[in-house]
Amino acid sequence: MRLEQIGSEPKFSRYMDLKDGWIDRRLFSDPKIYEEELYRIFARSWLFVAHESQLPKAGDFLTTHMGEDAVIVARQTDGSIKVLLNSCPHRGNKVCFADAGNTRRFVCNYHGWAFDTAGELKGMHEEYCYDEGDIDRKKNGLKQVAKVSSYKGLVFATFAEDAPSLDAWLGDFRWYLDMLLDNEEGGTELIGGCIKSVMNANWKFGVENFIGDAYHAGWTHDSGCRSMNNGQPFPPIDMQNSYHASVNGHGWEFGTEGVGDLFLLGRPKVMEYYNKIRPKMADRLGKMRSQIFGSVASASIFPNVSFLPGISTFRQWQPKGPMQFELKTWVIVNKAMPDDIKDEVTKGVMQTFGPGGTFEMDDGENWENCTTINRGVVTRHEKLHYRCGISRQIEHDTLPGIVYRGQYNDANQRGFYQRWLDMMEAGDLGSMPVRHQPRLAGVAETRDVPGLFAL
Amino acid sequence: MTQTATLERPQSNCTASLELTHALTQTLYREARLLDDENYAEWVAMLADDLHYHMPGIETRYRRDKTNQVSDLTRMAYYNDCLDDIKKRLTRLETGTAWSEDPATRYTHIISNVEVEYTETDGEYRVFSNFYAYRNRNERDEDSLVGNRTDIWRAIGGTFKLVKRRIILKHNVMLSKNLNIYL
Repeated sequence: MRLEQIGSEPKFSRYMDLKDGWIDRRLFSDPKIYEEELYRIFARSWLFVAHESQLPKAGDFLTTHMGEDAVIVARQTDGSIKVLLNSCPHRGNKVCFADAGNTRRFVCNYHGWAFDTAGELKGMHEEYCYDEGDIDRKKNGLKQVAKVSSYKGLVFATFAEDAPSLDAWLGDFRWYLDMLLDNEEGGTELIGGCIKSVMNANWKFGVENFIGDAYHAGWTHDSGCRSMNNGQPFPPIDMQNSYHASVNGHGWEFGTEGVGDLFLLGRPKVMEYYNKIRPKMADRLGKMRSQIFGSVASASIFPNVSFLPGISTFRQWQPKGPMQFELKTWVIVNKAMPDDIKDEVTKGVMQTFGPGGTFEMDDGENWENCTTINRGVVTRHEKLHYRCGISRQIEHDTLPGIVYRGQYNDANQRGFYQRWLDMMEAGDLGSMPVRHQPRLAGVAETRDVPGLFAL
Repeated sequence: MTQTATLERPQSNCTASLELTHALTQTLYREARLLDDENYAEWVAMLADDLHYHMPGIETRYRRDKTNQVSDLTRMAYYNDCLDDIKKRLTRLETGTAWSEDPATRYTHIISNVEVEYTETDGEYRVFSNFYAYRNRNERDEDSLVGNRTDIWRAIGGTFKLVKRRIILKHNVMLSKNLNIYL
């Protein structure tokens, strides 16, 4: 796919110095930077579009956005998944108006052009109006994205023909993702439905918060934590045995105590459940990962998906202009969980990290104010401080990626903005620098790599 | 033990008396005033011990799609709470560190279209109403939430307690950053 914006080479590196630890505030409101992000980041990244469990049967579909481009994600009769632009090639109208459902055809309301779930044009209103040679049905289907691929239930798509494989894109981050997606036999599913809300904030504030900002939690969310846990404050952070890990702009910050996030969920039965399966989890993922899971932790997949392993909120920050995003919230559970545990998890998530959640309420207010205040014509030229923990990088014999010690850190945020910068400046995706020493390149199944790596 | 009345409306006509309709309408207005005033202690006193407070997330779906988005309790919901859940949420405001509630949000609940019906259970009444809830905070931060409610209210000791409430918000994308409000 040819994207006309690529090729001009604005110098985005002037907007940050990550070795010095600062970022320019214009990243969070400038319409020109935002427009470039849509081309350079969103039109080229692998983007999350669905969980396999949302599309169990042939004909099941859902609609979502890749950047600001509307797409349909549809299960085919052969079991594969296709991702199509939700736009009729005739005049561009939407061809699917529902959030989700099951169908054989997507039909445009304007002139009745009808497409099958693979996007092929099958017919239209008053077909006789087209003379022979007017229209080639094969060439007038719904446009397909360049590539679709899944990782353990998560379906991703990209518009970029030159995108690396999804495995390469996720890279060593797969080792971390397995804690969310593969901690129990059977994998995961999303609870039915999706809650959507709007924040007048730049999309990156949500992503960077989840990618590494454990620091805000004890302060911003003191009230949330106390309300869920009989007045008890945030569990203490062990700076020696907690980490930031960054891979290709993805990031996971975590403790190793195993219970912090489970505690914050405020649902004792869920804690019990995970404690019960933890020995099995250790057999499956190794001891280290079984201790990380459930700890105070948060994570983001570059560019715009985040989740809390243990709390089980799973969300996407969909950009809607430089100063607005739409937040899509799901609950992710293990398929093997009994129904009552799924119910406990779902209620717990919506009481903490739904729009009415006791944690979520204090986040939106912060991000909206960060966005609008940073825009001031004088204010926007002041730098923002991202130096926390800048000298704490370590080599860890078990943990892959760029690892920093102490989960109060800006390291993953710096890793995210480094990837942002690399992508904003890269002419072709093959020329993007690799910022860490991959340990799992070529390893097909990262679940089975529990233990020590050779450094 | 008698079954609690259902939110689903039976076929038969069971409109309540003028007196009962008036009493329950006044109850709804009083509840709205308590919520506007953030008088949550008195609001909680209006809730029954076996409360179910439910506000499902409603997706946009084609008419032919028969997915039960309203009463399937396994699906995503803004609220799917029992009384203890509501009380837990409310303790956030007592911590002194609910930053986004200080300065306070300003609320107005407007309640209308009240209909009251007798139910299959003595002393329990089905109450339909519409709400318009307006919020404003800080300088010019504002939003409106509009929708319908179906309630079951129970007469206890000369007063009424809310046993069930189903709230249908008319938003698909909730046009707000949070839901720091009870409807």
